[in-house]
Amino acid sequence: MSVVNDWFSLFIQVLDKLPITLFMLLISLVCSLVLGVAIAIIRIKRFKVLYQIATFYLSFCRSTPLLVQLFLVYFGLPQLLLAFQIDINSMDRMIFVLISLSLHNAAYLSEVVRSAYLAVGEDQFEAAYSVGMTYTQALWRVVLPQAFVLSLPNLGNNIIELLKDTSLAFTIGIIDIMGQVRIILGNNHGIGMFEIYVVISLIYWGTCILIEMVISTLEKVLKKGKISLSKL
Amino acid sequence: MILLKHIHKKFKNNHVLKGIDLEVSKGDVVTIIGPSGSGKTTLLRCVNYLEKPDEGTISIHDLTIQTKKPVKKDILQLRRRTAMVFQHYNLFENKTVLENVTEGLIVAQKKSKKIAREIGIDILTKVGLADKINAYPQQLSGGQKQRVGIARALALNPDVILFDEPTSALDPEMVGEVLEIIREIASGGVTMMIVTHEIDFAREVSNRVVFMDDGQIIEQGSPDDILIHPKQERTRKFLKRIMKEPDFTI
Repeated sequence: MSVVNDWFSLFIQVLDKLPITLFMLLISLVCSLVLGVAIAIIRIKRFKVLYQIATFYLSFCRSTPLLVQLFLVYFGLPQLLLAFQIDINSMDRMIFVLISLSLHNAAYLSEVVRSAYLAVGEDQFEAAYSVGMTYTQALWRVVLPQAFVLSLPNLGNNIIELLKDTSLAFTIGIIDIMGQVRIILGNNHGIGMFEIYVVISLIYWGTCILIEMVISTLEKVLKKGKISLSKL
Repeated sequence: MILLKHIHKKFKNNHVLKGIDLEVSKGDVVTIIGPSGSGKTTLLRCVNYLEKPDEGTISIHDLTIQTKKPVKKDILQLRRRTAMVFQHYNLFENKTVLENVTEGLIVAQKKSKKIAREIGIDILTKVGLADKINAYPQQLSGGQKQRVGIARALALNPDVILFDEPTSALDPEMVGEVLEIIREIASGGVTMMIVTHEIDFAREVSNRVVFMDDGQIIEQGSPDDILIHPKQERTRKFLKRIMKEPDFTI
């Protein structure tokens, strides 16, 4: 009985911090989507100076570990800004996590968006122009709805990656589910490692399954006209 | 009504259009013929600015675009006065047949959904697709898709409809049904410019034929003038190549 109770209470304790993890996931997902779409458009349209900056940024974000980027933002940014007389040392550390997660994920998302946009094809733009739509109308009414559906498999992957990336936030003292696990272990003087890591694995796993279910439902609902990657 | 002056277009080093002058009057059905790579399609795509000409002017009624310094608003106006039927249909893949037709009416022409729907159903009935209005393009045959394409263009009630090889991508047994529709529209007095390889069709449907080769208009005139009694050597050669049983005098 007590064994079951132990497992159960471990679950409850860790689950207690799941909202923090989900909060990080959601906010950085929204921010990185906005930024990712912007970067994708800059790269597709090849805006002069912005294109170089975006490419440079993409290269940096994809070629350095997230942990390094997190430390760079958390330890490096305040020091840099202090040189300009801006003091952000007292800022909530959650902000730093959200900034680094968003910046990191936007780099990957921009490529997801870009490939989906290109997959829709110029012919859809031309059709929209031929009936008198502007670029913006064509984008929102014709191209993006199709691009979104095409991007869903990759977007799902990306969200799952992002969820797992949030587990690094404990390194700067955020108490998400990973942080909670470290606290519990600390209180137990390191006893029960197996149980607790099994518990947190199951929680990450379960969350991922939920995300996958949402994505596949979206795919089914939005797959109007049976758009599929095999259409070419 | 439509006036093209000195249209030039280059793709990198490839000079595709070398100074095209062309006038199309209201109610004209102009077919443009010529060998592959002669610039027919490019010319047609310049008319609604899907291709940006390097030089020249495009006028339609009182609207004139200097292609050296085009105004964005004018290009939009030009597109709203024209409509196009594409070789590969280019239907909106995520929209139903009816939505394909009404989209331009609602978004570009700001018609109410109700009126757009009425126009859409009316025109789709005309092209024989009344039973397919809720289907998606993927569920249609090539001939049906192209009929939707034509309905979409027709619904906009444009000053001119541009047909870019409307039957080239179709299975042979579906060419007939599409040509039949175009024939009907032509007899209704709609101004049209048609790029085509269907010489018999061109002869029957158009009141003017334009022969292009190597980025230039070689000659133009009535179907009989061009297709039966061509004056230019290049036109004769082309027609000889394309027709198995020449019914024109050489």
